[in-house]
Amino acid sequence: MSISTSIWVWIAALLTLMIYSFLYKENPFYRLAEHIFMGLSIGYSVVILWYNYILPRIYEPLFFPPHQWSLIFPILIGMMTFGIFSEKYNWLIKYPLAVYVAGYAGVQIPLQLQTMILRQAEASFLTPDKFTSLFSSFNALLIFAGLVTTLIYFYFSAKREHGLGGASQVGIIFIMIAFGAAFGYTVMARISLLIGRMQFLLQDWLGIM
Amino acid sequence: MIFLLILSFTISAKDTPDDAGGSITINVYNIPEGTEQIELYRLTKGDTLFEEVGLIPIFKGELDDATVTDGVLYLYKATALTPDTVYVAEIKEFASSSPEWFNKSRTSVLLFIALFWVVILVYIQLAKKNPEGLFIRKLPPLEAMDEAVGRATEMGKPVLYVPGIEYITDAGTLASITILAKVGRKVAEYETRIINPHFDPIVMTTAQETLKNAFSEAGRPDAFNKDDVFYLTSEQFGFAAGVDGIMLRERPGAIFLQGYFYAESLILAETGYSIGAIQIAGTNATTQLPFFVAACDYVLLGEEMFAASAYISKEPRLLGSIKGSDLAKSVLLVLIGVGVIFGTFAAIKNVAGNPVYMEIFDRILEFLARTAE
Amino acid sequence: MKFWQRFLNLDRKWIFLGIGLVVIIPLLFPLRLPVKPSKPVIDLFNRIDTLGVDNGVVWVVTDFDPGTMPELMPMTMSVLRHCLTKGTPVVLHGGLWPAYIGMAKMAMDNIAVEFPDKKIGEDYVFLGYIPGVTAVILAIGIDIETTFGTDYYGVPYDSLPMMEGVKNYEDISIIVDISGTRSPEYWLMYGQQRYGVDVGIGCTAVSAPSYYTFLQSGQFVGMMGGLKGAAEYEELMERYGYPTGRRPATVGMDAQSFGHLLIVVLVILGNIGYFIVRRGERKVGIERRKE
Repeated sequence: MSISTSIWVWIAALLTLMIYSFLYKENPFYRLAEHIFMGLSIGYSVVILWYNYILPRIYEPLFFPPHQWSLIFPILIGMMTFGIFSEKYNWLIKYPLAVYVAGYAGVQIPLQLQTMILRQAEASFLTPDKFTSLFSSFNALLIFAGLVTTLIYFYFSAKREHGLGGASQVGIIFIMIAFGAAFGYTVMARISLLIGRMQFLLQDWLGIM
Repeated sequence: MIFLLILSFTISAKDTPDDAGGSITINVYNIPEGTEQIELYRLTKGDTLFEEVGLIPIFKGELDDATVTDGVLYLYKATALTPDTVYVAEIKEFASSSPEWFNKSRTSVLLFIALFWVVILVYIQLAKKNPEGLFIRKLPPLEAMDEAVGRATEMGKPVLYVPGIEYITDAGTLASITILAKVGRKVAEYETRIINPHFDPIVMTTAQETLKNAFSEAGRPDAFNKDDVFYLTSEQFGFAAGVDGIMLRERPGAIFLQGYFYAESLILAETGYSIGAIQIAGTNATTQLPFFVAACDYVLLGEEMFAASAYISKEPRLLGSIKGSDLAKSVLLVLIGVGVIFGTFAAIKNVAGNPVYMEIFDRILEFLARTAE
Repeated sequence: MKFWQRFLNLDRKWIFLGIGLVVIIPLLFPLRLPVKPSKPVIDLFNRIDTLGVDNGVVWVVTDFDPGTMPELMPMTMSVLRHCLTKGTPVVLHGGLWPAYIGMAKMAMDNIAVEFPDKKIGEDYVFLGYIPGVTAVILAIGIDIETTFGTDYYGVPYDSLPMMEGVKNYEDISIIVDISGTRSPEYWLMYGQQRYGVDVGIGCTAVSAPSYYTFLQSGQFVGMMGGLKGAAEYEELMERYGYPTGRRPATVGMDAQSFGHLLIVVLVILGNIGYFIVRRGERKVGIERRKE
């Protein structure tokens, strides 16, 4: 058993306790810790951006030889974003946004289509090789049924009559089971975070683990 | 002589197709038997000496030389080393690399996207001409909305509408504003009070305008109280605590949680449940849906939110994209159905010794795999 | 009935206290419940385990912040230990967002202590944060040197012996994205789909369910999901004789199991209580109508 002598471990431990005090009720200690955290995270990002981006990628290439003058155009387009702070010039922001949206959509849409839809559709085909064992056959059929009925559930162009109603009923069961699984996993994640903090408090701070 | 020519060790070099430049593909043919190693050399036009590029893998007989500069001309020479002889092959004309504007291997993706795009445009045009002509199924939570406002009125309690904690740029927030207009009209009709706290000032201004219009449309512009649409805070849990406080103090009869939510979703829905309000939630944040499903009476699940807002507003662009994505879903279902049918046939027929179906099936899979590459 | 009503209205502070206790007690008195590795973790482990020195570098990315550190840091350390012990060249990339570089730095500092004979720049390389998210993933496919320029410490890329000949994804054997964000989807779309590089992931338990679809389709090589995934990887490391440190994830799994047990009991009791109370209310309603 050896309690920590590091000032940083103490600060971290006290801040952790201040945040956890919220579980009892909202109080000034919680508020203080919360505000320190928010200020820190913003300050941290600004410093990282300054040293990792603005200095080596904008300032140095532009002002030191060999000067990369071509950088001026993207910089100018980017600068237009600051128009948002002025009532008179806030229309300027449309241009960088247009460039950004167009470029991003161009890169993203085909890849998204391939990754999230075509490859997934291909994987859901019931091919003979999926029926090698009883377990894999059951899995393949289950996934297939889940996919089809869920798609039907989210089909808005027809009334839920004839077969569609039944299929979407099955679909919602699949969706709810998925929600249950997600809920369970979230519980696991939250408890893990608590475990992590407790390990820190018991091991690094108090030294009793 | 002809026989010898055909079988002689040869080399070809051409610009690598469908790339961004900077690469030449070298192929060697008729690799002599017993070859242990194939070395590749290149001569830059204007130089006098060949420099070594690397080894060509014998099993492939192909190498991409990615160390070239676009537009510069190169001459290639390959040597195949067998234990007793060195065979040399050289290209006759200079080769150079260049980038291509169009990647032909992705034509199918372009077609797919173009088709989808055209379908949406057509639907938007149709919706513009006749918004009532495009059918969208009415969703049960939408029907429940009127009922919830009615019940809050009967109980003499206000309605609380929380638009999530995203900015106006988020699709979920936009859908939420449309749904707010619908709820606002009902509230005005029933002469109830609507409380509408906000996380973001721009969303707040939009909501104020929307509600003002909704009250005017219902014929009661005077009943609209601007102070009931207010900015709370832009801090996530501060906002959650603030809304919880409002729920406990004002005891609304109906609560609408519509928009994009993060980890505060359960905190809000739980408090709403504890005060016994009817809760109708809707979010495009799929990670938060389980919590709403657990704690609310009705939930618009993901895309249902957009369908709901299209249903309410009859806005052509919204209607068009919902219809377009419905068609895409149908195409996908058909595609999967075809896959299944051929798969089954293939399995049966293949055993019986008729590989035709298998062949067709393989072709389809191949096409898909190529599209997905 | 009264008991159930009181149970349903239980002050949540008691639940917090209960969870706190079932987490702290197993941490102080560990049982070391067995950990059984699952297929997604075994797949990832095997993929990294069968890599030789010539298969290209392993590219580990830390896309997480202190908020998800308990789940994700053990994964990062395990993968780094795995590669370094085997002698596989490994790059640690400090994440796609600015706040995550601190996590990578922390991992690097630990590695420097645990592997004093391994040299930075020769056996492993630490690359810093570059803004652009998806643009960075795409740029790695074109040229890593122009994308990063230097390593985290400012050493020029061409002075890093390990990175000699490492130009783009063709020289990377696998991307291991340890992430508390949506970044695995980005690596999948822009790295795997666009350039064909293999992607394996370590993610928080919150996002694990949504990534199973990509495992099923074979788009991800393998996955460590949440603290459990991290513990399973540690288990495999130990089985195959690799160093595991203090096995922080495995130590936490006892507490995890008891926490889950308590929640399962609460959920079941809550549901029983809900139905009993509702039935009781209905009966009261019927009797009143009779009056």
